[in-house]
Amino acid sequence: MVTRRDVGKIGIAAGLAGSAGMMPRAAFAADGASAAVEAAKQFSGQTITIVWEAGLQSLDPLNFSGPKWKELTGIDVKVVEVPVAEMFTKIMQDFRSGAGAYDALNVIPSWMPDLANAGALEELDSYVDKYGYRDELMKIAPTYRDNQMKVNGKIFGLPDDGDVFVMYYRTDVLNDPALQAAYKEKHGADMPVPPTNWKDFDQVAALISEMNKDKLYGAAFFRESGYGNFMFQERFRNEGGKFFDADTMKATINSEAGVKVLTDWVAENKFAPPGVEQWGFVENLAAFLQGQTAMTISWPPYGRWAASYGTDQEVMSWVPKSTIAGKVGYAMTPGGHPQLAAGFCLSVSSASKNKEAAYLFIQWLNSEATSLERVKLPYALRDPFRDSHFTDPGYAALWPEAKDYLKALQDGANNGLLDLSLLQTDKYEEVLRQSVSKLWAGEDPKAILDTAAAEWDAITDKIGTDKQKAVYADWASKSGAYPKM
Amino acid sequence: MPAIAVHPDRNFKYWLLTPAIFLLLLVGLFPLIYSLIVSFMRIDMMDTDTSFAGLYNYANLFKDSRLWWSLAHTLLITAIALPIELLLGLAMAYLFLEKMPGRQIFIALLVLPTIISPIVAGATWRLLFDNKYGPINQILGWFAGERVNALWTINPTLVYPAIIFCEIWQWTPFMFLILLAALSNVDKSQTEAAEIDGARFWRSFRYIVLPAIWPVMAIAILIRGLDLFRIFDIIWALTQGGPGTKTETISIYAYVQGFKQFETSYTAAIAFLVIAILTIVCTWAIRRMGLAK
Repeated sequence: MVTRRDVGKIGIAAGLAGSAGMMPRAAFAADGASAAVEAAKQFSGQTITIVWEAGLQSLDPLNFSGPKWKELTGIDVKVVEVPVAEMFTKIMQDFRSGAGAYDALNVIPSWMPDLANAGALEELDSYVDKYGYRDELMKIAPTYRDNQMKVNGKIFGLPDDGDVFVMYYRTDVLNDPALQAAYKEKHGADMPVPPTNWKDFDQVAALISEMNKDKLYGAAFFRESGYGNFMFQERFRNEGGKFFDADTMKATINSEAGVKVLTDWVAENKFAPPGVEQWGFVENLAAFLQGQTAMTISWPPYGRWAASYGTDQEVMSWVPKSTIAGKVGYAMTPGGHPQLAAGFCLSVSSASKNKEAAYLFIQWLNSEATSLERVKLPYALRDPFRDSHFTDPGYAALWPEAKDYLKALQDGANNGLLDLSLLQTDKYEEVLRQSVSKLWAGEDPKAILDTAAAEWDAITDKIGTDKQKAVYADWASKSGAYPKM
Repeated sequence: MPAIAVHPDRNFKYWLLTPAIFLLLLVGLFPLIYSLIVSFMRIDMMDTDTSFAGLYNYANLFKDSRLWWSLAHTLLITAIALPIELLLGLAMAYLFLEKMPGRQIFIALLVLPTIISPIVAGATWRLLFDNKYGPINQILGWFAGERVNALWTINPTLVYPAIIFCEIWQWTPFMFLILLAALSNVDKSQTEAAEIDGARFWRSFRYIVLPAIWPVMAIAILIRGLDLFRIFDIIWALTQGGPGTKTETISIYAYVQGFKQFETSYTAAIAFLVIAILTIVCTWAIRRMGLAK
């Protein structure tokens, strides 16, 4: 409970000491960060534990936000680093066991229905109102705010990461007059820079590979199955595909759109670097930064690292030195609807024994002021997710093309497609991951997708068709579920 | 002297053993019984239905083709890797039976793979097999005279050789070490006598050496057989069961069901299926190998 003395310190008398219903909204003239700090001081001396993705992501709470929160409030932050692949499992195990080992959580939005329905996440509406955060929360970019925050109309997470796929292309290569002339001669039309649909993309990429013979490849992609799942979801919907028949809940991923995507992927590998089927985040990054590929699609950090922003830090020494700084253009992925792949929300564990302190920490992290600092951390992987991040002059000045970069992120956010999010989403995604893997093993695209559709149907049957239908209808009604064709 | 001091309580020894027995039951038997109970429930990610579900999960085992394929993959790996490890281990043991310069150092070096954690070994081999950064394709390219793009962890025709190669690399030294110890204890006078009597290597091995080392060899086969049946780490690090589910073993399948998909009760049923199979195979093998004598 916040004391009157604390309230007096920030000049918002009478507000914080009462319950949510008793508090006048106007009392929170202070921003979300200050309000959280002042309210959290009553928990000084306590420790909160937060689950965070292992590796670079964790440097944010370890090096920046954790120590700063301790300095401001006296609350220690213990960071439990967990690889993404194990995060869901660890959160569920903690909840199921009732151990309450975690107070605050990083949650991938597509997991939220499962975690919320299982009861693992604390509903946050009352906290948001109690600490006057609703107005500031609403300033998160609409795609993330409207699609990644709630389950059944209740808030279970604060969207905290603007993950979106961006198309990166070499401006020096694509603007080369010789390439453009060759394109015109071959295809009888001006070369689109950058390409905006897959047909153009493939033609441009194939020509670059053909003209540069093993020295420069037209494009490379994530082809490793874990990433391929996201790539498939995006491209399938850009081709007009729907995951399910909304009336029967029968899977429709084996439609023409699905088969076209997989067939095109196999064809595209011919102009991509050899062995691209194995490529994940690092292989694709290395090839692009070293100037071996002219176009690629990935998450926002590629753009920062290609511009050499932050890569001089010791913790970033694993990132290959960029040879293409100043030569990179940013655009939406072909089709115009990039995947809002993964992303993170901040949540509070329902099993936590420090829920109030945990909530205040995530409110502070997520606030306008703190989040702006966090998305600019050169070593962290949080990407801009608030309207104010996209228009921040400080961010736009970080490297010469940063303004264009921010615009591409904002365009992506406005037109982005949500990850499929259902009950037991991972089971459906697992089938997609295996499908991608089977494709690289040489199986027929149609046969792969027929099997995948049958497996999806079996999963839906087991969960309960009506139950899943309702969740799918809720997801499909969101603005980012399918492109507006 | 009072009688009590001369004849202490005969049950005292049991009292001393009680804590150890209790601990063993707690960590060994309790989880087993609890898992058995869970296998008759319907606990999964969404439901914690602890009511008795009869043979629901066991019936589902028979309908689950992925489970039987994973069992087939496990048996395939075991059937290929085990004999190769045994033969290579035996051959190496014979080689190092004789005294030679640097013998101890070579033995120590040969045993190194065995002491590496399988998950680390798998991750290392994944890097070695990598098409972009791995040296294996580069070396093959030197011989081929052109760049080799063999996708060892993706191509269905290469993935099993890759897995079996890693497995053999890591565990042949285990066979070697055990068989070297066994061979060292064979009475040399018998083999020398056979040699003088004109017995060739094979006859000498078949009728003198093999019977002498068989008890130890049988134990080594049994241990490695069981290890191979529950193989997980090395394959998980190399392929995660892929491409598709082509290299998914029974342990990987159980892990995916239990810890990624939270099919808790069904996974317990899988575990008991594995226990049943292993119990039957082990009992048969122990009798067949004469280890119970």
